Amino acid sequence: MRRLAIFYRLILRPLVRDPWRTGLMVFAVAVGVAVVLAIELAGDAAAGSFRSSVETLSGNTNLEVTAAGGVPEEVVGRLAGLPYAIEIHPRIEDFAVVGDTGQTLPLIGLDLIAEFNYAHPAVNVQAGDQEDALRDLDDMESVWVGKRLGRKPGEKIRLMMNDHTREYTVRGVFDDEHEGGSVIVMDIAAAQHELGKLGRVDRVLLRVPDEPDLGVWEKRLQEVLPAGVQVRAEGSGREENQRMLAAFRWNLRVLSYVALVVGAFLIYNTISVSVVRRRPEIGIVRALGASRGAVLLAFLGEAACFGFLGALVALPLGRLLAAGAVKLLAATVDALYVSSRPGPTELTATGVVLAFAVGLGVAIVSAMAPAREASRVSPVEAMARGQREYAARVHKWRDLGIAASLAVAAVVSSRMPPIAGTPFFGYVSALLLIGAAAFAIPVLVDGMTRLSSQWLKKLLGVEALLASRSLAGSLRRTSVLVAALATAVAMMTSVGIMVGSFRQTVLRWMNGQLPADLYLRPAEDPAANRHPTIDAELAGKLAKLPGVSSMDKFRGYEISYQGMPATLGGADLTVLHDFDSSDFVSGSDPTKVLEELRRPDTAMVSEPFANKHHVKKGDRIVIPAGERKAVFRVVDVYYDYASEHGVIIVDWATLQKYWPDPAPSSVALYLAPGADLNTVRREVETAAAGTNVVVLLNRDLRAEAMQVFDRTFAITYALEAVAIFVAVMGIAGALLALVIDRRRELGLLRFLGAATGQVRKLILVEAGLLGILANAAGLGVGILLSLILIFVINKQSFGWTIQFHWPVAVLVGGLTFVYVATVLAGLYPARMAVQLNPIEVVHEE
Amino acid sequence: MTELSRPLTNEGTAQDGAGAPAVLLRLADVSKNYASDGQVVRALAGVSLEVAQGEFVALVGRSGCGKSTLLNLAGAMDFPTAGRVLLDGVATTGLDDVGLTRLRREKVGFIFQSFQLLHTLSVVENVELPLLLAGQARAREIAEERLEWVELDGLSARMPHQLSGGQMQRVGIARALVHSPRLLLADEPTGNLDTTTGNVILELMRRIVRERGTAILMATHSLEAASLSHAVVRMRDGRIEEVVRR
Repeated sequence: MRRLAIFYRLILRPLVRDPWRTGLMVFAVAVGVAVVLAIELAGDAAAGSFRSSVETLSGNTNLEVTAAGGVPEEVVGRLAGLPYAIEIHPRIEDFAVVGDTGQTLPLIGLDLIAEFNYAHPAVNVQAGDQEDALRDLDDMESVWVGKRLGRKPGEKIRLMMNDHTREYTVRGVFDDEHEGGSVIVMDIAAAQHELGKLGRVDRVLLRVPDEPDLGVWEKRLQEVLPAGVQVRAEGSGREENQRMLAAFRWNLRVLSYVALVVGAFLIYNTISVSVVRRRPEIGIVRALGASRGAVLLAFLGEAACFGFLGALVALPLGRLLAAGAVKLLAATVDALYVSSRPGPTELTATGVVLAFAVGLGVAIVSAMAPAREASRVSPVEAMARGQREYAARVHKWRDLGIAASLAVAAVVSSRMPPIAGTPFFGYVSALLLIGAAAFAIPVLVDGMTRLSSQWLKKLLGVEALLASRSLAGSLRRTSVLVAALATAVAMMTSVGIMVGSFRQTVLRWMNGQLPADLYLRPAEDPAANRHPTIDAELAGKLAKLPGVSSMDKFRGYEISYQGMPATLGGADLTVLHDFDSSDFVSGSDPTKVLEELRRPDTAMVSEPFANKHHVKKGDRIVIPAGERKAVFRVVDVYYDYASEHGVIIVDWATLQKYWPDPAPSSVALYLAPGADLNTVRREVETAAAGTNVVVLLNRDLRAEAMQVFDRTFAITYALEAVAIFVAVMGIAGALLALVIDRRRELGLLRFLGAATGQVRKLILVEAGLLGILANAAGLGVGILLSLILIFVINKQSFGWTIQFHWPVAVLVGGLTFVYVATVLAGLYPARMAVQLNPIEVVHEE
Repeated sequence: MTELSRPLTNEGTAQDGAGAPAVLLRLADVSKNYASDGQVVRALAGVSLEVAQGEFVALVGRSGCGKSTLLNLAGAMDFPTAGRVLLDGVATTGLDDVGLTRLRREKVGFIFQSFQLLHTLSVVENVELPLLLAGQARAREIAEERLEWVELDGLSARMPHQLSGGQMQRVGIARALVHSPRLLLADEPTGNLDTTTGNVILELMRRIVRERGTAILMATHSLEAASLSHAVVRMRDGRIEEVVRR
């Protein structure tokens, strides 16, 4: 009870009396926690509880059969002939674009007659007699659609698949409530025909009996299947995708904690100020018998109040932010990884626990140091020495020593390898660097304010002298504020440099990779794991057009390699123009590499693939290919920024040997010398008339790629903006506290002849100086952090080599914005300072 | 107008007629009310007082009798609720914030009980501050001169916490004098000092009056301090109770 009384009188009452400052602090914590919560919820919805959109209507199956490029149809027959009670569900899994809405939906081809017998939900809703239903099932132009699509039985629907469009009749509507989105179902034979997948299916789902266990069934079935066909637990693809997305989610998660780190600095500052302000009170309660523990708990309790209230506000705020973030995340997952559909953003019990754990955790940890300091105050010292103790307790040279040690640890940590593909030590290195900066900041602030005060006085007048001396005089408080804002600025700078460098690298890479004049591909939305095809005849026709000198073609397949998704691609290497020596990691002559690649059973792999699977030049990789296993020798590793999950490229002839399908996924056309681009384009469009193929100019393709790139990093910018918002809000709160604490000094200035405008200017100059110091420190730390991001975290997470580049305009813009925001944050405190009654504040003592 | 409020110059220390020193500060029937918790508190009630140039006047009385309020009104830091305050002939009630600031910068210097030095500025920087705030040239030079005058010329680079209490108050006096004000307002200038040091400060204040011709209005509890002044104004409950001239 006594402790509670101390807590109420020493802590709670002042918080209630100062609602603005308390509110600002709670809001700062709330925003930090809300961002973490939002990213977690949005990440779960977009990628965490990940379901590829074609993994729908899978029913109660427990095993799946897959193969690179599709499972040969005879495997289905072989499975059916086994003497086991197994349900067999062969499937085509692809996408179709609804003609009138442009909506891309998963298209599932099922053996409807068999599914009818299995009472599959998609076909089980058929009304009428069985004979009619069976006739519909057999009809090549029938489709069944999910309820959410809003179509009625008997309606016509135009669907685009690969490069052509056809009209179908909706035969039935099924309940898609539990499928995450609408789906189109058609008979497997029709789907095979429409999608050019004759003789193979994408996946065979199996329902095996519960006894013996799945492992035994897997082994038993694998023994009777061809070498290039794999049996695994149903949902393994989902797990693969989750593994693939793990690095993406980790990076996002870490970035979401930046605002919280900024918030931690602000809590530290608030509790420090609180300790200093109440030093005499601490002395009194200690003299009256309060223990050290009671004082420690009182101040930790103050921080816990901020944490608790912040988490409470963060719950609805985080839920709201998550709804916005999930769209951005889903777009990125779609563009870079795999077509997916985000689940609902739900505030689960885990989310609530996370918010409170993070809010209370960060608040209590940040308050630990000042609370311990408070508990160590001796009653006599506290009552005698008062507020000046605050400035005296900064040990800047000792702190510089700690900063140097942390910096060395950061360098050592940055050299460590990843743990299970996660750049754990990269994150540690970044955190150590921020810590090093925080400890080095007192020396920086002290040095810069001392060196610049006279110069500032000449430039901006006596107010600047007073401002800089005041900042140096409250070194601890100033340092913490600068550290908070500098952390946000450092993140902005480092991410700005990283993204700018990445963008520049991609642009440079595209210059080499996209040399053709025209590009053609099926018109559906591009996604990393979708490879719709163009009719092979059309491709042949295009190659023979008079204005076309040559044509590159590419065919992609989505495969699974060592438990991770990858793209297997075939390219016509006899005409491939896309590479020069700088495009290979080894720096080899491209002519020699391509010549070697034209030999049988050779491949080149992309840099992310090589890094993920630890593959290097000369190694052999094994790809299951239907009846057999293809073994390829890696002739080189090439730079590739189009796909994060890795690409294996073989010669067109090699591809056809294992996966005989002449339809390309895309073609690139080179103009004959003297040919007119627009004329050739018109000729190409005429040749492709009646098909759903888009013809893109070189510049259109580049623009489209950069659009995807920029959208991918939109969430990153949003997170940076939040961190800066929290920091600037913290500065506003801290300046307000500063005005309250220095009211006597501000009042005195009025006695000494200062005009109200001069007092206002003093506070604004202080805000400006905080902004400059934070920008300077943040820029320095940000540049170092960008090196860790580019060369450690990115490399270990995604495997890309990024060339360092200075995005000058972005940096200048960002730093100017932060500076202006900081000065503006001083407006309200400046107004408060002007409104102080000098007589009251000077005579308060 | 009460007897107590008659101009001090009429009571002996100053001279009447053509040779009489000019009236520097005039409070005419001044009242000052404050609102506190919804209640009106009368701090000054119908006070009239004149201070001539070069005069050293002590205000004495118990805490809360209105001494500090009178000093604040005299220093153009506050407006009277009723009556007029004229500083060097200028009525403070007719001025806006800019005008009041200008008046303080030109005419008034303040000395405080707890010295009120800025701990982030050196001694000389503290002294030159009023000149810098007023945007005057040669601030450093004048500040050094004032420090020399208060016999602290070797300490200009020191920080306030490196000084004794007496030295700090001398810095406060140098700062109050730096812009050559015509009126010095001192609120308990020896209240935080021991007797010996306090006497040194009081002697310094007499020197200011003597050598610089600056008028001083000093609020004090100390009868010893008051005894060194030309006139003692005894206050009680917001009114002037008695004026004693020497």
